[in-house]
Amino acid sequence: MKIFICDGAPESFFTAVFEAYKQTDCVITSDGNIQLSLNCETERVQRDSEKCERVRRGLNRYDDGAEEDILKALRSCNAQKEQICFKYIKRIFEYKKRVRTAYNLPEVVDLSNILYQITEETHRFTGFLRFKETADGTYYAPYSPDNDITELLMPHFAERLNMPFIIHDIKRKIAGIYNGQCWITANVGEAEICLSDSEKAFERLWKKYYKAVNIESRPHEKQMKGSMPVRYWKFLPEKND
Amino acid sequence: MIDAERLEILTESAKYDVSCSSSGSKRVNTVEGLGNASVSGICHSFTPDGRCISLLKILMSNDCIYDCEYCPNRRSAEVRRATVTPTEICELVIGFYRRNYIEGLFLSSAVFGTPDRTMELLIKTVELLRGEYRFNGYIHLKGIPHADDLLIMKAAKLVDRMSFNVELPSEKSLKLLAPQKTKQSLLLPMKSLQNAITYDKLNKVRRRDAVIPAGQTTQMIIGASPETDGQILKLTEALYRNMGLRRVYYSSYIPVVQSSLLPSVGAGLLREHRLYQADWLIRFYGFDVNEIVDEGENLSREYDPKCAWALRNMHLFPVEVNTAPLTTLLRVPGIGAKSAYRITEARKYGKIDFESLAKMRVVLKRARHFITCKGKFYGAENVAQVKNCLLLEGKNEVTEQLSMFSEKSVALSALTGEV
Repeated sequence: MKIFICDGAPESFFTAVFEAYKQTDCVITSDGNIQLSLNCETERVQRDSEKCERVRRGLNRYDDGAEEDILKALRSCNAQKEQICFKYIKRIFEYKKRVRTAYNLPEVVDLSNILYQITEETHRFTGFLRFKETADGTYYAPYSPDNDITELLMPHFAERLNMPFIIHDIKRKIAGIYNGQCWITANVGEAEICLSDSEKAFERLWKKYYKAVNIESRPHEKQMKGSMPVRYWKFLPEKND
Repeated sequence: MIDAERLEILTESAKYDVSCSSSGSKRVNTVEGLGNASVSGICHSFTPDGRCISLLKILMSNDCIYDCEYCPNRRSAEVRRATVTPTEICELVIGFYRRNYIEGLFLSSAVFGTPDRTMELLIKTVELLRGEYRFNGYIHLKGIPHADDLLIMKAAKLVDRMSFNVELPSEKSLKLLAPQKTKQSLLLPMKSLQNAITYDKLNKVRRRDAVIPAGQTTQMIIGASPETDGQILKLTEALYRNMGLRRVYYSSYIPVVQSSLLPSVGAGLLREHRLYQADWLIRFYGFDVNEIVDEGENLSREYDPKCAWALRNMHLFPVEVNTAPLTTLLRVPGIGAKSAYRITEARKYGKIDFESLAKMRVVLKRARHFITCKGKFYGAENVAQVKNCLLLEGKNEVTEQLSMFSEKSVALSALTGEV
């Protein structure tokens, strides 16, 4: 069996698809997710813009939404994401048309599940992200999502907020930065934050509200934890007293 | 700024209102403005009772002139009273919204002074938010019964959603428990709002200028009065059909106040859960109330309403998943709206086998008794056995009394108000 190892960038993945397409028995994966087995042969994929472009063009010919789906799926924390995307792409080339609703194909269900997880987590963080006001008026929100979704979250907040803000993925050391006009992403390791004078007061009021709005005679902790997983609590002031 | 004590009082007074959804509106942000509305609604937190926090739900005042029997804020109750100013509310909303604590505001009030005066203050708050603070986030405003129609219309132009609570499922109970509110004082403003919505639609009024883009909702208390589930659902259906409501919320009665007119025990959450399930069948699955329950009857506790209906109509089953039309698939227990859609899409590409149904999130434990797959039947042999299987499967749900909803999807959509 042959294993193609990508560097994590989409160009590298599409190049790997090109190389792997004619192989009968192969796996595409990336650094950190490699599972070596006996008698396997590995190949580190070198990005090749021409090969990458050919795969993309082919995809767009049959399904103009597929590339966007694949790019989104590659943000997943799923260790098999490259392989799942690869198999999905093979199905599109096999059927020569869009297969996104062919739920009787396991490849389609696998990809749609990954996409669902990413969409779901992005949606959750549109609610669970918490900003703190810093002394210079910039709002700062640290978080640690399962998937790499910072770029998916930025448009939502840039659309609604009218002050500069930073969304910081602590684990991946990536920050989305909005200056009030437009946003970019950058590699940011640690941030030093000096909070504004009113920050503590608002946080206290919020905690008070959270406590008061709960109906104690109807406890249902299981439901709370199902909707708001404990791993997200670290950055929620109402869950940290 | 508002102090912690008043925030606590006014939140505790508002928290029994079930509605919290922030869905149904596509309000966009303005230049230099703050906020917009997300059409599917967003939950910002969940409390230990399992409910979501989407909006800042607060009363302007809990100092009420009315004396409704069931209400903790009624005039004769001895509770802490508080009132806030429009500016205090605005500051809190903006501060919370910028920190992404909330999706917007759910503002209500006890009636203090007169209904008109109360309504005017609510409007003033909203005007301030939309005007001076350029806030374009979601606003749900509670209508005050007996307030002038002109005031109601003025409010409707500013906010995303309005609601008048019918409070109790019959006029008789309303008379007994909330004598200052009449059926007319609740239904007339609902009707004028519906007319205004229809007018805007017919005249293609721009989205920005249209009244309550997220429509109206209402709420009723279940179990404080003797109405059956059948009567309650009949009323619900009428509200959906005649008033064009987006949602009807049911709030299981909790004995917060002592009164000889009220039962001393709560209605239980299973009843509320069953009503929501039936409500879903009416709105999304093409069911008629008459098919679900007779007017004088209550819903089955053992089976969810869809299962109960299917068991009464076994002659219609099994249906073949590869050929049955969407409307039929929707009536199969264990097949939800999403999986029904997936099935109809998938079979364009080829025959569906039993294994792939599970991948499409069909609940086979239930569905297998009512379907065939490529002609093959996978269910139990006779109706008695089917009943037994479904009963065992539903057991968890019944014994788990505290569980508000067992199916996660139902739970989430019931709480967020998916439209």
